[in-house]
Amino acid sequence: MKTTLKNPYVYLLFVVPTIVLYFLFFIYPMLTSVYYGFTNWNGLNTKDYIGFDNFVNAFKDADFRNSILNNVYILLFSCGVQVPLIVVFSLLISQMKRFQGFYKTTVFMPSILSTSVIGILWGYIYDPDVGLINNILKTFGMDPIYFLADTKWALVSILITNAWQWMGFYIVLILAAILSIPRDIDEAAMIDGATGVQRAWYLTVPLIKPIINVVIMLSIAGALRVVDIVLVMTGGGPVGSTEVMASYMVNKAIKFGDYGYGTALSIIIFIFALILTALYQILIVRRQEKVEY
Amino acid sequence: MAVTLRKSIPHIVMIAYVVIILLPFVFILFSSLKVNNTEIATHPFGLPKTWEFGNYKEAWVKAKINVYFFNSLYLAFSAAVVGVLLSAATSYAITRMKFRRTSNGIYQFVLIGMLIPGNVLFIAQYLLVQKLGILDTHWSLFLPYTAGALPFSILLISAFMKSIPQELEEAAVVDGMNVFRMFFQIILPLTVPALVTVFIVNFLGNWNEYLLSFFFISKDALRTLPSGMVQFRDAFQTNYALVCTGIVFSVVPVLILYAFLQRKIIEGLTAGSLKG
Repeated sequence: MKTTLKNPYVYLLFVVPTIVLYFLFFIYPMLTSVYYGFTNWNGLNTKDYIGFDNFVNAFKDADFRNSILNNVYILLFSCGVQVPLIVVFSLLISQMKRFQGFYKTTVFMPSILSTSVIGILWGYIYDPDVGLINNILKTFGMDPIYFLADTKWALVSILITNAWQWMGFYIVLILAAILSIPRDIDEAAMIDGATGVQRAWYLTVPLIKPIINVVIMLSIAGALRVVDIVLVMTGGGPVGSTEVMASYMVNKAIKFGDYGYGTALSIIIFIFALILTALYQILIVRRQEKVEY
Repeated sequence: MAVTLRKSIPHIVMIAYVVIILLPFVFILFSSLKVNNTEIATHPFGLPKTWEFGNYKEAWVKAKINVYFFNSLYLAFSAAVVGVLLSAATSYAITRMKFRRTSNGIYQFVLIGMLIPGNVLFIAQYLLVQKLGILDTHWSLFLPYTAGALPFSILLISAFMKSIPQELEEAAVVDGMNVFRMFFQIILPLTVPALVTVFIVNFLGNWNEYLLSFFFISKDALRTLPSGMVQFRDAFQTNYALVCTGIVFSVVPVLILYAFLQRKIIEGLTAGSLKG
């Protein structure tokens, strides 16, 4: 027993390839990101150490500040609009006796598809000439709206597409938590004469608070990570109205070769994500008492 | 009467939701079968007058959707398989073999990866594959895809392996089995449910990945579906029917997979996000 499972060569054989690959594509890029972030490297010249200049410049950069603001809008929309809707939908589905599986499967479906394909698909739905929405508007005799080319509409259009893709995913998460609550609590309340809405609000919601917190945390992380959909649908335009931090970073690095500045931006995104999740943990989650069934 | 009405309201709300989810797909499907833009514009909701399957042939061969499709298929598949095998071997070593302290260290080290959001590493990975000289080859996608899946896969597989009782191995050792046979003939078969879940999650992730595949690959013949589709849309911007056909090609395989494996897929993807 001892010798067979203590063979160090076998152990190394099983562990080393993974560690090498992991180090090369996770740890090494993380380290070099930090290093490049403090240089003015643009792919051609020498890498010179320039201290915190990139970080200072980032916050002076009006375009980057604008993209932070767009991330904030996305964040507010997903936590303020999507999460309440998600909770309502999951409560609705959890109460159903028939078609529960069907609803669950269908609402989850968009989240397994490629964001880029969804971007193309919705770009087409929003199309001013042949798009689905403008066709509906046309039957009511309204003028077409240039959803993705109009600065007023572009971000909203992306928010809706993003919600369309991801809401079902979170609904399924919360639904699983609701269905794991023992039925007898609900039945006791029903015998006591509580209505469906009362039971949902006073019993179920407090019991699923931990999972709602998880969904909010995932939404925060997701809002900072949004990039594919923006690159595919608008490329950040029109005039920067849909530019987000990550798309700005990608454009800076790939189109202009500003690797030093680009990696500094990626570190800023990472730090934002850490701070926001930590703040949410400290301010909200810790204060709530633990729920036990 | 009032009761039935009250009972059917939730269903009405949910059916509206389902329609919103499905309508875009139906619209795309119908459009892909229409002759040209005028027919889409004048009859947006109706069934196509004649079923134009010619679009499918044209998109598949002329627009190179077939190339993108097979690139995606083999990259997503091979990266997922290698990722699962590597993670299974490592999980086996750190959960079943007798090197407690090293194993614990490795486990913690690998889990750091789950804290780092993917696109933060984008530029550094771009520069890395450039330095390795594999930019614009499939290696530049295969390696990051495989590596990217490791933390989550190891987390899930080792959790599963920990729950396998020790006695099985004791018996195997008494029977004179060596480590490799124990791994391949006892532990791996028992871990199959976790391996399948991890495989599906990784496969879907690779199949759908856009950012790396768009920026690391510039040769048209090497593109995968998500990035190829964007290229395709930009090239055929005005031919809506053809673009819709392309969308159908990239969506249908995933939907077929989903139809058969929906429980596994939902379970795997939600587990992935919760543990992360």
